[in-house]
Amino acid sequence: MTNATALPASGNLLIGDIELEVVRRGVGQPMLLLHGFQNIEPDAPFLDMLGDHASIIAPSHPGFGRSSRPKDVETVYDLVHCYLALLDSIPDEKVSLMGFSFGGWLAAEIAVKAGRRIDRLILVDALGIKISGPETPDIFDVFNKHPDEVRKRSWHDPAAQAPDYDALSDSQLANISRNWEALCRYGWHPYMYNPQLKRWLGHIKARTLVLWGASDGIVTPAYGEAYARLIPGARFETIDAAAHHPYLEQPRAFVDRVSRFLKS
Amino acid sequence: MDAWFQNEVTYPHVAQEVLDAADSVRATLPNKYCDPEIAANLFAEAIDEYLLCDDLGINVICTEHHAGINSLLASNPMLLSILASQTKNVRILSLGTLITLRPDPVRVAEEYATADVLSRGRLEIGFVKSGLSEYASNQASPIDNGDRYWEAIDLISKALSHQEGVFSWEGKHFTHRHVNIWPRPYQPTLPRMWSATGDPSTAGDVGRRDMVQVLVLRGPEGTKTAFAANRRARAAAGMPKPTTDRFAYAALVAVGDTHEEGVRMGEKLMWFLNTSLRSAPQFGPKLPGLAPPQAAPGLYRTKPAAAKPGETASAAANAAALMNITAEQAMARGIMFAGSPDTVHKQIMDFHEAVGGFDHLSMIGRSGFMTHAETSKSMTLFGKEVLPRLKEVKTVTAGYNQPD
Repeated sequence: MTNATALPASGNLLIGDIELEVVRRGVGQPMLLLHGFQNIEPDAPFLDMLGDHASIIAPSHPGFGRSSRPKDVETVYDLVHCYLALLDSIPDEKVSLMGFSFGGWLAAEIAVKAGRRIDRLILVDALGIKISGPETPDIFDVFNKHPDEVRKRSWHDPAAQAPDYDALSDSQLANISRNWEALCRYGWHPYMYNPQLKRWLGHIKARTLVLWGASDGIVTPAYGEAYARLIPGARFETIDAAAHHPYLEQPRAFVDRVSRFLKS
Repeated sequence: MDAWFQNEVTYPHVAQEVLDAADSVRATLPNKYCDPEIAANLFAEAIDEYLLCDDLGINVICTEHHAGINSLLASNPMLLSILASQTKNVRILSLGTLITLRPDPVRVAEEYATADVLSRGRLEIGFVKSGLSEYASNQASPIDNGDRYWEAIDLISKALSHQEGVFSWEGKHFTHRHVNIWPRPYQPTLPRMWSATGDPSTAGDVGRRDMVQVLVLRGPEGTKTAFAANRRARAAAGMPKPTTDRFAYAALVAVGDTHEEGVRMGEKLMWFLNTSLRSAPQFGPKLPGLAPPQAAPGLYRTKPAAAKPGETASAAANAAALMNITAEQAMARGIMFAGSPDTVHKQIMDFHEAVGGFDHLSMIGRSGFMTHAETSKSMTLFGKEVLPRLKEVKTVTAGYNQPD
């Protein structure tokens, strides 16, 4: 794969033959932001708030949003290497890395591999590891469980916060469907975790904040605490009145926690 | 024309209030509602029905479904081996081990080779793409199901036909570095292969591979469209026009002494459509990768849209359209042939004419609350009074009366 040589200030980003759509916002030290089940909407209120504290680079993963997915890009291994190449294109010596949910899994993998290049790591309701025994699923099965239950577990106040499909445009629904397919491709089996990742988390060099929605029913705060314990020196914090999407559900509280951590 | 019988061994003996309270009768319904004594009786009756077909000259089909009241046949090779050893005359079609759900196609090839030997060369091998709740029940990803389907078929075909020692397979979805199955099939050439599909794209693949294409409960329009796609793909590939022995149609079939009796029995078969297809939304058409993103508005906002003229409905949309209809409606839609021997024969021949011919009628001959006695009577009447007339229908060029 040919790495991008320098990160352009706007527009899409080419990583070899992968064309990534990128949402950018703010000024300061670069922060690579890796999204969860859905790509980041440019009008999400948390972006402007967070932009006061970091220069955000939020690509859509290959196959999500309007990012391309060459046919042979189909595993988390591919995504991790895609983002390692993207990191190479950022001229700054230090970069912050933040991952939401599925993107938190990617961020943890990247933090292990990128070593000291990652200055700060923020994992938000992250997936990626297996904690409990074989009969206890740590990560709620969003594919095989009833969508009403998935919705209830994903949002602190589903009626107010969950997307209303009847109110979305055709292109928004097509985007959700494309994201859903890509997520399944990358995360079906083993379901949303890498059995080997847990043993390597102890090698993460970045200062780490593990941030969790207190009502998250997709991955519970207990899972988040266990995750944090595996990363040397990691702090674990929760955000009230938020579930799996604290950056959307409580954007002000979310950005306050992140900015405080970035300054600490 | 040949006729083939199948009994999917449905399990209708769960209290209606339990079914009403469940969001799905597949994949999630606890198996405490399956009484093993009743299940044993159902299997014993099914085997008797298959042996009756062996006497009547009706070929037999062994299917597979998972984790639901719609079928107790979770393991195709188990029943297949019984039929292979206990029947003596008729052809046996496995339709089939659900290969996209199974991790090792070589094991499937071993099972098929064994069944062919047990039956002394009477095996035919059918493939079904599977889907919906069966992904969950088998830990199989809905993504790339079609690619897995064809790669598994390629590997199974190679394993069944390769006779010169070990070969290696390092494919996209399956890896098996040391393949050399024993026994090899009884038949000197690869057993005839079938594929159950209604979508035009897969129909084209089936045509190019010269397999038998079977349409299940699709009615005349969907069947015509899919058969035409098969023929067009063959023509585009420079292949000769196919004959009707490359096409099959599966319908619910019930035959009584009188038309009314046959329809009454047919009404009992409707349980299969009206009760056993109900499935929770997470096992429906919104499963990742099943529909292209541009189909999302219809899927996320409303129930599955009906197919436009000239299109074949998706399997999920087809399933949704089949629920809550009567036997008379099913007959009008060409998914059930029911009545007296004469009226059933006429319905079959009308359908045959409407779709441009097929040589194989696959009969779902027992389902739901249709009893063993009724099934035996229905199949006996069919075998004695309908089948001889169907046998007179000759193999001709497929689509002989179609515009293409």
